[in-house]
Amino acid sequence: MTDELVSVTVDGAVVQVPRGITIIEAAKHAGVLVPHYCYHPSLSSPAVCRMCLVHVEKMPKLVPACVTPVADGQVISVHAPAARKAREGVLEFLLINHPLDCPICDQAGECELQDFVFQEGQARTRYSEYAKRYNPVEDFGPDVLYVPNRCILCTRCVRFMEEMAEAPVLAVAERGDRAYIAIDPHHQLDHPWSGNVVDLCPVGSLVSRDFLHRARAWELDKSASICPGCTQGCNITIETRDEAVVRLRPRPNLEVNRHFMCDTGRLDYRWMNHGDRAEAPLVRDGDRLVAADWDAVVARLHLLVHDTTGPVVVLASGRASSESLGWLMRMLEARSTIAAMKVPIGDEAPLAGVPGLALRPERAANLAGGLMVGVRDAWADAIARVGSAGLVILHDVDLNDAEAAAIAGAGTLVHFATATDDRLPRADLILPVTMMAEEQGVYVNRDYRAQRYLPARTAPGMARPAWWAASRVWQRAGSERTVPTTTSEAFAALPAFGGLTHRDLGYGGRILDPAVVSR
Amino acid sequence: MSIEATEAHQPVFVGAIRDRLETLQQSYPTRMALLLPALWMVQEERGWISDSSVHEVAAVLDLTPAYVRGVLTFYTMYHQHPVGRHFIQVCTTSPCNICGAEDVVAAVLAESGCGELGTTSPDGRFTVIEVECLGACGFATPMLIDDDFIESVTPDLVPALLARYP
Repeated sequence: MTDELVSVTVDGAVVQVPRGITIIEAAKHAGVLVPHYCYHPSLSSPAVCRMCLVHVEKMPKLVPACVTPVADGQVISVHAPAARKAREGVLEFLLINHPLDCPICDQAGECELQDFVFQEGQARTRYSEYAKRYNPVEDFGPDVLYVPNRCILCTRCVRFMEEMAEAPVLAVAERGDRAYIAIDPHHQLDHPWSGNVVDLCPVGSLVSRDFLHRARAWELDKSASICPGCTQGCNITIETRDEAVVRLRPRPNLEVNRHFMCDTGRLDYRWMNHGDRAEAPLVRDGDRLVAADWDAVVARLHLLVHDTTGPVVVLASGRASSESLGWLMRMLEARSTIAAMKVPIGDEAPLAGVPGLALRPERAANLAGGLMVGVRDAWADAIARVGSAGLVILHDVDLNDAEAAAIAGAGTLVHFATATDDRLPRADLILPVTMMAEEQGVYVNRDYRAQRYLPARTAPGMARPAWWAASRVWQRAGSERTVPTTTSEAFAALPAFGGLTHRDLGYGGRILDPAVVSR
Repeated sequence: MSIEATEAHQPVFVGAIRDRLETLQQSYPTRMALLLPALWMVQEERGWISDSSVHEVAAVLDLTPAYVRGVLTFYTMYHQHPVGRHFIQVCTTSPCNICGAEDVVAAVLAESGCGELGTTSPDGRFTVIEVECLGACGFATPMLIDDDFIESVTPDLVPALLARYP
């Protein structure tokens, strides 16, 4: 593939595309989707499904768009009568054996077989014999079920396990109408990235046990987000049904995660649905915490920042936004502050077929963003200093019992909380904050790529982003200070991020200059 | 890819058979291309291709067991289950059927003691299946006993024929 461009005509539209790309990719440049099943941009193309047949002028036969490279001056017709007829035939064959169980199929509504049959298929079959298959549902692995009756044998799953996971445990067995996807009997589909076969499956043949019968595809609201699981920063979609997160799926970003995400990130969303949330600001009054409004807690926090003495310890979550971390640090700019992020460490799980893509050991999405604004990863050291701190600021972090005990005995405690913690009865202020699924924000991944995430659902009660509260506290320390009103302004106002707005980060994120980071 | 110790497996590809395989390698461009002959060698040696043999072939040819199993199940002439000492295939495609292949099948099933297509006789001697056209329509009914091709079989010839295969 070169930078050289060639000119091709796709369904009447003339487009300039890089020489060497396939017709199916060139058609995307012209805004035309060539129907396909076996093709996937991250996998090899075997051209077995015959769905992407298109007509090319001066070629005697229809050609498969997924493997045919474009040539200069080519006139491609995706919707020529001959091409439509060929695809109609393919669909008719696929439907001979396909069960009519769309009403109970998880894929219904996001099924490529449904979509293309609706677009280009016939309304009824000419096949009069009964030819449906009755094979039992098979258990492929911890989260993947195989429904062989629905399989159209595109082999995307086989190629993913072979080429991407490099754990080739799937293969096509038997032949003809008896063919099915077989798993090596001595293995399970338990590779840390195997959940991607569910996304890759164009029909409802590979389904997620976790999502099984949880929602219909058309009921889901989808928001672009970033996986909060580790420092890789995979682009994801948070899918909610009636304000509850029911599924996380990868969102393509060729620079970060291609089309994939790991199973650990995929299945770690239940915490987003916690019901026991902090919903109103609480202020200590004697031995009780009483509900207050935001003005009152901002004023109180301003006094605490001003009047307490001794070092300040900030204990932050790895899922905190760059805006919140940056503004918490700015709020404390006049104080001697030790700030640390809790970074749980796990095993690394690379996806062999994609260089630079792995579930990282550092399970904190915004570790780099924290470092850029002065939040270190010296967690144990920060916990050790809690006892001698004048002010402890806790930001939505999962504590173990020992850490909670250390903090419970500390001096003045301010808790920016998504949920109150019974082990910390002596908090002086509790500020209800949003978590990542309820706010906009920026995570900076391990390559210093700043990536935006968007809110997927509404925040509970009076919860607000931590940066909002911190900036209002900061404003009170000087009458001339102006504060951001949007998350984008909050990001742009932080010098560590070079004045970039959210829009400057673009769709796929932007690599920041790590030179500003001092570890 | 290692051979999994799921059962005691006596390797096929040792000594002379291994040498045969490696000699054959010289006629093929890749290791993968040896898969069909390798599976044949296993079947000649063992009568059928067991799961542990699949793993052995995969290890010897540097393929994955899943791929080997995919190829094995694609072709109908590889046995995935044990068969009798002698494997009988009777043609029952249309021309032979018209000429009385059904009667031949019945006679073979009765004489061999199998009783039913696809099963092995209690003494382990025979397995009988029907096949599609053996390409000898002018000499109905043909059948294959192991590698011997026998034409113009009628029910009355069956006992003497089977007696030649102890």
